[in-house]
Formats: sequence, C-alpha cells, structure tokens
Amino acid sequence: MIADALGALKWGDWSLISLYISLISGIVVGIHYSPAEPFYSASALDILVPYGGFFRSLHFYSSQFFFLFGVAHYWAVFNKAQNITSRAYLYLILCFPCMLMLLFTGYVLRADATGYSAGMIAEHILEAVPLIGSGLNNTLFSISTHGMDRVYLHHVISFDLLFLFLAWDHLRRYRVFLTNHLLFISALLLFSLVVAAPMDPDQLGMLYITGPWFFLGLQELLRYISPFIAGILVPISLLVALIFLRKEQRYFRPLLVFICSWLALYLILTLLALTSHG
Amino acid sequence: MLWPLFRFLFHKVPRKPRIVEVSGTLQNDTVLTKQDFLIFKEHEQLWAVSRNCTHLGCRINYIEKENHLECPCHQSRFSIQGKVLRGPADKALPRYAVEPTESPSTYLVTIS
Repeated sequence: MIADALGALKWGDWSLISLYISLISGIVVGIHYSPAEPFYSASALDILVPYGGFFRSLHFYSSQFFFLFGVAHYWAVFNKAQNITSRAYLYLILCFPCMLMLLFTGYVLRADATGYSAGMIAEHILEAVPLIGSGLNNTLFSISTHGMDRVYLHHVISFDLLFLFLAWDHLRRYRVFLTNHLLFISALLLFSLVVAAPMDPDQLGMLYITGPWFFLGLQELLRYISPFIAGILVPISLLVALIFLRKEQRYFRPLLVFICSWLALYLILTLLALTSHG
Repeated sequence: MLWPLFRFLFHKVPRKPRIVEVSGTLQNDTVLTKQDFLIFKEHEQLWAVSRNCTHLGCRINYIEKENHLECPCHQSRFSIQGKVLRGPADKALPRYAVEPTESPSTYLVTIS
C-alpha cells in the first residue's frame, strides 16, 4: 500500500526539475567561483557575495535531490523499465555513476577540509589502478599537481555532456514543464534559503573528517582494504550487478540478493564511519 | 588517432621543485604549520615534513598534546620526524630541507 503510494509519486519529474535548477544555479555560482582560488572563492560566496550563500545552497541541494529522486524514480519504474532495450537500460544505469561523479566533483571543488580530502582520496584510488591508474588520475583529478583545474573541467563540461549523452533518448521522450511543479520549486527554494550548504574550513588539530554522505562507506572500507579493491572493484561490482538486473535474466534473484547485501553492507560501513571514529 | 590521444592523456609533466619562503618565529620545540608541510625545530635542528598522508593523501595535523601527527581521514599516526606510528599508512612522510635565510624569522623550504 505504502509502496504503491510512493511509487505513484513523480520522482522522475522532480529529479529533472532538480537538474534544471542545479544547472541554472550552477551557472550563477560559477560566476564567482574560481578553480585557481577554490576555497577562497567558495567561502566568499557564503560570506561576501550578496545572496551567494543562497545560490550555493540551491545548487548543492538541487544537485543532491537530482540524484536522490533519480534513484527513487529508478526504483518506482523498475517494472516498466523491463520493456526497454538492453542498450537503453545500460545507458540509463550508467547515468547513476555519472550523476555521482557530478556530485562528487562538486564536493571536491569547494576545497574545504572535506572536499580536499575526498579529492585526494579519489586521486590515490585512481593511482592504484594497475597499468592505467596514473593516466586515469592525470586525466580526471590530478589535484596534487594541477589543483582543481581538471576537477572543474569535468564538473562543468565532461560529466554533464556524458550525462546528456546517456540520458538524451530518455529525456526527449518525457517532457517536464516547470509550471506544473511550482509547489516543488517553491519548496526547494525555501529549503535552500533556510538550510545552508555545508562548508568545513581546515582547522588545526582536526582529528576526524567525514567525506560526502555517499562516500562514507567507501571511506570506511579504505581503512581495511586496498584502494584498488575498495575504491574500484567494490563500486564496479554494484554497477555491473545493476546493469544485468533484468527480470528476464536467469540470475535475476541472485543479483537482487547481491545488490541488497551490497547496499546493506554499505549502510553499515557508513554508520561505522559516522559513529566509531569521532 | 587513438594512440596520440592515449599518449597525450597519459603523459605526466614532471613537477618542478618548489622553493617556498616561510615567515614565522620558530624556537626550539616549536612547530610552524603551513598548508603543505610542517616545520619543526628541535635542538637547533630544522626539518619539514609533508602534510599529505602517505595512505590516501589527506592533509594531516599536528597533535600538540601528544607530539605526533595524525591523519583526520583514517587516523594514521606519524612521529614528528615523519615515521609511521600507526596504520593504515605504511610509508613515512616525505621530509623537506629547511634553510634559515639572512633575515630573521624567514625560512626556505625545498619541496622536491
């Protein structure tokens, strides 16, 4: 009953509206952001620029909602999605890592204690990939050598283009009009006005910092196992399982069990990261 | 076309050594904290250690009370000389040469 009610909500519409707002607010925020002075320019938005805090908050939360509603949309239309071709399904599943990379690079770009550390961890994870790790890092992050240049490039261009390419066929079929969602838009604007986007300045003697919420489980896992396994193989295993999660598949049930176990374990690791080292 | 692109993307331009001028008063048993390194002075000896944790690169902090360095991401610990005291990090922190200049309270740190 509750599942039906939740499934009937317009998650996809809300995700897309959030994307529109995220893109527009991203352009606004980008006017005052400089990758050469990432932390200064990001904190100046909050402190010095009129309404800068509001627009940063709007960009931050609309981006989070874009991802979260996207996940809810996937869950709500999973049965219907069985009718689309394998290729179309693959493209849509690949949208999720692309969305996460957009969120992640946004976190890194503010270059506060959390963002900088998350970026450096990502850099070390990529470096740990055998043979191509150095090239991957040089292409995607390379923060220790090039500062935020590459992260900025991929946040504002590469991952956006990749997302549009992957989701294009899906988006052109389902049109969403802003005027049909004025209540949702008002709620998002009000939320961003009241709740500030996080910013963690570097503090001397800081003993524990936690990364972005979706990165916490990974941060915890990196404590115990090698960066390549924790940072590359473990996330890829979930992605591969999601790609093959189709009802006509012979291994549908084992894959579903694997995905649920993966998510449960990740939740436990996230809780551990939040509670056991502070 | 792919090979040139591969070579281009995977080429790493070597970082040139940086000499950083640091201002600050440093007496025996004190520390100067900068964004990329910490400078220590003990028995008139000067040295700097990197603040990038050798585990995954997070910026480590000096814990004055216990006189050691600790990473806020996974709590690796290092001595002030940069040696590993507790994992998950398993490599010592890079050390940099520090030279006092002619003007008082100014030092040159060579980051290689």
